[in-house]
Amino acid sequence: MPAYHSTFAADSLNDRMVGNVVLLPLKTNFRGPAYQANSDYDIIDECLDLFRANSFFKNFEIRSPADRVLIYGILFVNECLSQLKSSTSYNEALKILTNVALGDFAVPGTPRFPLNNVYSVPVQSHAEMDLLKSYIQQFRQELATRLLERLYADSKEGPSKFWLGFTRRRFMNKSL
Amino acid sequence: MSYLNNPAIVMDNGTGLTKLGFAGNDSPSWVFPTAIATAQRSNTKATGASSGSSSIQNSGTPYFGNSTSATSFNSLAASALMSNNLAGKRGTEDLDFYIGNEALSASQGPSYSLSYPIRHGQVENWDHMERFWENSIFKYLRTEPEDHFFLLTEPPLNPPENREQVAEIFFESFNCAGLYIAVQAVLALAASWTSSKVVDRSLTGTVIDSGDGVTHVIPVAEGYVIGSAIKNIPIAGRDITLFIQSLLRERGEEDTSLRTAERLKQEYCYVCSDIVKEFNKFDRDPQKFAQFIVENTEKTKRKVIDVGYERFLAPEIFFNPEIASSDFLTPLPTVVDQTIQACPIDVRKGLYNNIVLSGGSTMFKDFGRRLQRDLKGIVNQRIALSESLSGTRSTGVDVQVISHRRQRNAVWFGGSLLAQTAEFKSYCHTKQDYEEIGPEIVRNFSLFNMV
Repeated sequence: MPAYHSTFAADSLNDRMVGNVVLLPLKTNFRGPAYQANSDYDIIDECLDLFRANSFFKNFEIRSPADRVLIYGILFVNECLSQLKSSTSYNEALKILTNVALGDFAVPGTPRFPLNNVYSVPVQSHAEMDLLKSYIQQFRQELATRLLERLYADSKEGPSKFWLGFTRRRFMNKSL
Repeated sequence: MSYLNNPAIVMDNGTGLTKLGFAGNDSPSWVFPTAIATAQRSNTKATGASSGSSSIQNSGTPYFGNSTSATSFNSLAASALMSNNLAGKRGTEDLDFYIGNEALSASQGPSYSLSYPIRHGQVENWDHMERFWENSIFKYLRTEPEDHFFLLTEPPLNPPENREQVAEIFFESFNCAGLYIAVQAVLALAASWTSSKVVDRSLTGTVIDSGDGVTHVIPVAEGYVIGSAIKNIPIAGRDITLFIQSLLRERGEEDTSLRTAERLKQEYCYVCSDIVKEFNKFDRDPQKFAQFIVENTEKTKRKVIDVGYERFLAPEIFFNPEIASSDFLTPLPTVVDQTIQACPIDVRKGLYNNIVLSGGSTMFKDFGRRLQRDLKGIVNQRIALSESLSGTRSTGVDVQVISHRRQRNAVWFGGSLLAQTAEFKSYCHTKQDYEEIGPEIVRNFSLFNMV
């Protein structure tokens, strides 16, 4: 049984695509280009559910455009965890992760992005790249917020040590 | 003929553990590491010098060289006494050894060195093995080998020369009454007859034997091992322990020793049906997290270790080797399927129908159930494909994995079952046969035909 894949079906006719990345709807209050999701379970929940299992896998076969969003989400969760320590309180973590989410990041297609061989995006088109960038921005903010809920579910004093244990795991041997 | 009514002795010498006991019993009387601690080489050198000089001493010169070690004799009286017989010429260093747990504790000190005479299931050091058996019989079982038949075990594909060597030791050194050498996988099959799922007592089936070092998948057809199809998986108990240790270290637990990891493995681990679902179960039900308390020997310090996802992640490496290793990636169910597919087509149904687990690393809860489910998936997929290609209905293949209560010492228990039967002695080679024909007699043993 190999690594877990995204269950979100994406087809290039109905969904909004930038290159081979699909802009899936999100349940979020952050401003951005994503459509509101009409189901309870969105790609962000899926990223958080699959993060712990997929962190153990070094090989991942991309089956759908939604898998590319999943990869980004899992790598971002890992990046967030690496910023936290076992003693970080909820309020500090909120500050740190907000900064991480809003901070400067590499958009797929640009030279700093580590996984350019699996993401192909129209680098020439400014409009599409801006759309992708603002979608990822929104995605990062929402993911960071929901990650915090999970990390501090038991106590506001420190994050769950069982989650922090995954910091050193590298999904696909990559990190953002 | 005093041996006729004595129970046979069943000895299963594995790479890690040796199981010793009498036929007819439920469980082995002794289980200890297959380890031997012998006097250090520096000592043997010293005694070698003294035994070399004993010829001088025989001719009347009171010179004993520089044998100063406590283990070799350095007092005048003792040497004079010993020099009259053969033991005096030879020294006693070959009697100075311990086996099993005693060996482990003896090797803590400076004067003994520890060695494991069996590697990868096969005997590597015959001298050590002979002494190991000697102590097993006289010190642990406390029996006279003349009065007992012996059932020994061997790994599949053991060269016949090794059998001959065993026969030489047992008949010539120990003078045992009779000997039978059985293949471990066949005994494991016999042990599964105690399970209620087994209806016919056949010796056809696939044995999955997982100990500490390596996991074997061995197909057996009517008592014969299909040697060309045997497959090994480099994932077994020790890898699970190491994986638990790495998870504990990543989480920064207080105690991350191998010993702790091993106890967590034995006490807390189980096989789940799906790891993502299991992660979510842990989120919903914090009861699943456990705590494990390590105390030091004086019970003055306590360390509390939280037990988390390793409970189900650790055995998962059989089914998803990728999570722990980077070079071996084939899941156990796939290996079992490949093994059976490599066998002659007329025995495959029987092999799928009777998959038997043996060894300590198959003891995880629901291990058999998960293996059966995954293997069924693979088989059904292939049947569906062949049905769609050929357009005919298949009669189906029944996949059945059998777990039973005797799994941990399955090989020993199977030996105990077979050796208690009335016919057992007629299958053995006796001392008389050996003297008449010679060691090559043990190249062949007749198979048990149990009804």
